[in-house]
Formats: sequence, structure tokens, C-alpha cells
Amino acid sequence: MRLLKLLVPVFLSIILIVFDTRFSYLDNFKKFTLTLLSPIYVIVDLPSQVIGWVNDKGADNDKLISENDYLQGQLIELKVRLQTYNNLALENQKISKLLDSSYEIPNHDAKLAHVKSISQSRLSKKIIIGKGSNDGAALSQLIVGSDGAVGQITQVTPMYSTVRLLTDPTQHMPVKNSRNGIRGITKGVASNANGMIIEFVPLDSDVKVGDIFLTSGIGNLYPSGYLVGRVTSINDTIDASFLSISLQPAQNMNKLELVLIVKEKND
Amino acid sequence: MTNTTHLFLLIKISIIAFIIGAISLPSFLELISPFWLLSFFIYWLIYSNGKSVFTSAFILGILLDVLQGGILGQNALALVLSSAFILNVKKSFFVSNITTQQVYIFISTLIYLITFLLIHSLVNGLNIKWLILLSPFTSALLWPLIRLLLAKLKQ
Repeated sequence: MRLLKLLVPVFLSIILIVFDTRFSYLDNFKKFTLTLLSPIYVIVDLPSQVIGWVNDKGADNDKLISENDYLQGQLIELKVRLQTYNNLALENQKISKLLDSSYEIPNHDAKLAHVKSISQSRLSKKIIIGKGSNDGAALSQLIVGSDGAVGQITQVTPMYSTVRLLTDPTQHMPVKNSRNGIRGITKGVASNANGMIIEFVPLDSDVKVGDIFLTSGIGNLYPSGYLVGRVTSINDTIDASFLSISLQPAQNMNKLELVLIVKEKND
Repeated sequence: MTNTTHLFLLIKISIIAFIIGAISLPSFLELISPFWLLSFFIYWLIYSNGKSVFTSAFILGILLDVLQGGILGQNALALVLSSAFILNVKKSFFVSNITTQQVYIFISTLIYLITFLLIHSLVNGLNIKWLILLSPFTSALLWPLIRLLLAKLKQ
């Protein structure tokens, strides 16, 4: 009888594992259960919220004024750069018209989100951000940091979203070389906290150390043109079918505080 | 202790285990940290005479899988198998000194880890950080502390 009591949950677990990895029938159950369990995230996040609140209340007036001055300066600098960008975009539009090209500069919406100090499974590289379905976050949206792409949303609750980092071995992202448009797919490396490789780039492709790879937007799943990383080494073993390219992520994944949720603009 | 008290204790320690497990740690510490839910569940299993052990282990494992965004059933299977081992040695565990208890904890965590890594490797390939292999040692080392804290909570 005890054996039967043991075997039933064992078989149920195995069935769930198979169903979860092969099909998506259980996604709604997972979403509903995670929403019920999300108060646990609120409790875990509470101390850092309190510390943030105390820091805000106790901030020195002089420090705030100097920080404000610095940010005003940054804002003006960025506005000046934006003018150049706008001119380039107009030029691009004119040239595209002349060449009768269908290419358009992508237009994206971005939403700011705080990275929460909540941990998930120890074998995966994930972060939790403080924006959920209530704020318009949705599955598969691209997350970018100040220096480049960070990852993709894989789970959403009303208040939080889980982001799988680009450096996770199960995360794949289509990319292209900014120099010549050669395409490939990135994959994280488990043994290296900040390592990525690019797969499926043919052996005779023109890729050099230092080349920059951007999101390619293929499949319309991710917006294109965001910085992913820089090539650090290339290994062209003769008996392999593809190049083995190592990539250093543009964004330092260990120093994330604020990120942007990027999605295509619907206009 | 009545059945309701056993259930209430299980809910209480499970919530604490979920909260501790979700606290963000430096990646080195996160890898070697004990499987909190397993350690807490073993305490409940040994010291509370609760019924429906495997069903409870299965449900808690599923909840942990959802919370960790992992493969549904992975933690559930690992927790059920580890509980089966502890249930077999329950009488001996109860009367043993702390060192023998630590050995039992080490073995049950090893069963949990092997099941966990086996499923992970079958689904995602052998993408494993080897520091995780230290977690049975830390579970065994921290067992006296966990037992002490949960005894206070039980009172």
C-alpha cells in the first residue's frame, strides 16, 4: 500500500515533466498558480523596498541638488545627440524612397522597470522585474539595459515578470553582425557567468574578433537593432560545420538595477 | 497534535522555506545553499507525525516548480523520492544523535540533487554549474541550526 502511495505521485510527476517540456497545456495552470504565490515575492522584496524608502527620505539635500544638476546635463547632451539621430533618420527615409527600399527604421515603445532582489532556480540565469501584466508586460518581450540587450520575458504575473538572461544556456536569440549583416543565434554558457556563443554561422563567413552583434529581429519576436555583444574569439575547426564564436555581452548582467521593456509601437 | 495542527505547521514551514529560497544571494552562495524546502519538509516529516506524506511532498514540489519557473514536476519528483528515503529511516532518525541525522540529511539531499540534475540534464542538456554538488554538504552542516529554528517555531 505504501509503495502504491509512493508510485502515484512519482508517475504523476513524470507525466507533468513530459507534458511541461513537450506541450504548452500547463501554461495557464502555471500562470494562475504563480499569481497566487506572488505574495511571496512581495514579502521577499519588502526589505529592499523599505531600505529604498528610508534612503529616499533621508537623502541629503545638497547631494540631491548635485545629482539633479548632473542629470540635467546628461539630458541636454542626449537631446543634442537625438537631433543628429533625427537628421540621420530623415536622410535614411529619403534615400530609402529614392532606392524604392521597403526598409523602415524600427519604432519601439519602452517601459522602465526595477530589477528586484528575488531569486529563482539556482541552475538558470533569471532576474525578476517589478513590472507585470498590469503594466503591459507580456511574454517574449525583449528586455534591454543601458548598454545592451539583457534577455526575454518568460513568465508574467500581475505585478512581476521573470526575465531569462541572454547568458542562460536555454536562451536563444537571433543576431546579426553590424558590419556585414551575417546572421547567427546566440546561446548562453552555463560555466561562465557572463559568456555567450553564436551558433549556426557557416565556416567561410567573414567574422572578426571585435565585431559587434545586434538583435536581428528575425521571426518578428524581438525588436531589431539592439546591441547584444562583441566577438572575443573565433574557432574554425576544420571538421565542424559552423564557426564557434564566443561573445562578450554588451550589458554587464551582474550590475542591473533598471531595465527597459521594449516592444514594437502599434500605430 | 491534531491533523489540523500538523497541516498548519506544514503550511507555516513551507511558506518560510519558499521565502528563504527566493532571497537573492551571490551566485556562489546560491549554488551551494541547502534545498530549503527539503530540509524543512524533513523536519515536518520526522517531528510531526503528519499523514499523506507523499501527497504533501508532491504538492509542495509542484508549488516550488511554479515559483522557480522550472520544469513542472522536477522538484516534486525529487521531493517525493527523498521523502521516501526519510520515511524508511524515520524511527532511526528520530532517536539518532545529531551527527547520524546529518548523515541521513546528506543522503536524502543527494537523492534530491541526483533526481533534480538528471531531469535538468535530460531536458536542457548537461549545462550544470558544478558548485551545486556542494549543496548536500551544506544541507547536512546547517541541519542542527534548521532543527533548532523550526523547533522554536513549532512551540
